[in-house]
Amino acid sequence: MGISELLAEYGSKYLLALLSTWQLTLVSFALGMILAIVVTIMRVSPVKPLRMLGDFYVQVFRNIAGVSLLIIVYYALPYLGLVLKPLTCVIITVTLIGSAFGSENFMTGINTIGVGQIEAARSIGLNFFQIIRLIVVPQALRSAVLPMTNLLIAVMLTTALGSQIPLNPQELTGLVSYINTRTTGGITTFLISALGYVLTALVIGYVGNRLDKKVRILR
Amino acid sequence: MSSTEQTPVIELRHVDKHYGQLHVLKDINLAVNKGEVLVVIGPSGSGKSTMCRTINRLESIDSGEILIDGQALPQEGKELAAMRAGLGMVFQSFNLFAHKTILENVTMGPIEVLKVPRKEAEERAMTLLARVGVAEQANKVPAQLSGGQQQRVAIARSLAMQPKAMLFDEPTSALDPEMINEVLDVMVELARAGMTMIVVTHEMGFARRVANRVVFMADGEIIEQGTPDEFFDHPKTERAREFLDSIMEH
Repeated sequence: MGISELLAEYGSKYLLALLSTWQLTLVSFALGMILAIVVTIMRVSPVKPLRMLGDFYVQVFRNIAGVSLLIIVYYALPYLGLVLKPLTCVIITVTLIGSAFGSENFMTGINTIGVGQIEAARSIGLNFFQIIRLIVVPQALRSAVLPMTNLLIAVMLTTALGSQIPLNPQELTGLVSYINTRTTGGITTFLISALGYVLTALVIGYVGNRLDKKVRILR
Repeated sequence: MSSTEQTPVIELRHVDKHYGQLHVLKDINLAVNKGEVLVVIGPSGSGKSTMCRTINRLESIDSGEILIDGQALPQEGKELAAMRAGLGMVFQSFNLFAHKTILENVTMGPIEVLKVPRKEAEERAMTLLARVGVAEQANKVPAQLSGGQQQRVAIARSLAMQPKAMLFDEPTSALDPEMINEVLDVMVELARAGMTMIVVTHEMGFARRVANRVVFMADGEIIEQGTPDEFFDHPKTERAREFLDSIMEH
């Protein structure tokens, strides 16, 4: 089957799959960012057990293979009496992994703020919370734009994990297997899905770069 | 004279501090009166910066007492923040807030700490920026300014808090030679205006011209102190003579 036949027969399915990929990406990234902020606050807090817990969290979810985590969430949790919808399982998996990398990005952003600026802030009488709110968070957020753009693209590609369990509707990668078990599209089936990923990534990259140029901190 | 009875603005009594095994401040006793300009000099590693930083508790001390206007330095918390706001501090590396404009750097303290209305804070900030000669840079960010300009903004940022004393921790050490004087000029003007100042510096010309008293530190101790003329022309200790010789060689 050529591209035109594939599109004629499965065009609407591709569109649904693209929307599904976008949905998984946006939901996972948004939840991942919220979690990343919580974990990062733990990692810079003055309470040592919280810091250790935050670091532990990042080490676990940064270093686990996505497929392994998905298998645990989808196939192992039911043994503990927790049965989740396939969609929820993919979102949880991608969110956990994304939040670990997101927290690392925030930490990098925080570390770019010199200790001198913090001392200067203390010396004009700002308290701990004012320093966090006025100095640390704005600078950490602004210098995290570019790494977070990369992370958003990585999160999108990670949603291909959805192909390993029965999602409905399927996302771009899962759809390829679905089509290729029914027709002889071969590599072409892949190419159409790949185009969906590439074009989306280009848009994300463009917007991210524009945003970064706008908020970047001159040093 | 009543000066013998007046309460020093800053007083250190028997201050000791260690970094692990290293004894960085050894029984420091020092009093700075209102309007006095104290210049602290000494070889690197002598503890002069550390002493300067203990005064607004950017460094903790192991024992002894630090009094501001006769009041003991508070522990962490609200009182400490309020006390810090009353002491200006200028750092070697300027430490301006990188994401804020020059004007915002100067207004942040008054607005957030002193709760001055924004408009009033901005007017006062512009007056201060004009005083240090960088008013036309108000809407730029720090990275767009030269080192000398940044340091003058840092001085304005401290002055905006209307401090009772200013601490300068090697304010010109990170500057290119041609920018040192523009910063020193601002400091001279401040001293003439009656500001109480502690200045850690290697600028001997400044010390001679402006200081009421020179304190010489080495190995965590105050070795000797006196008027600039006494100290530079007739140092009493061998250690001070060696130091002066070593910096005059070139």
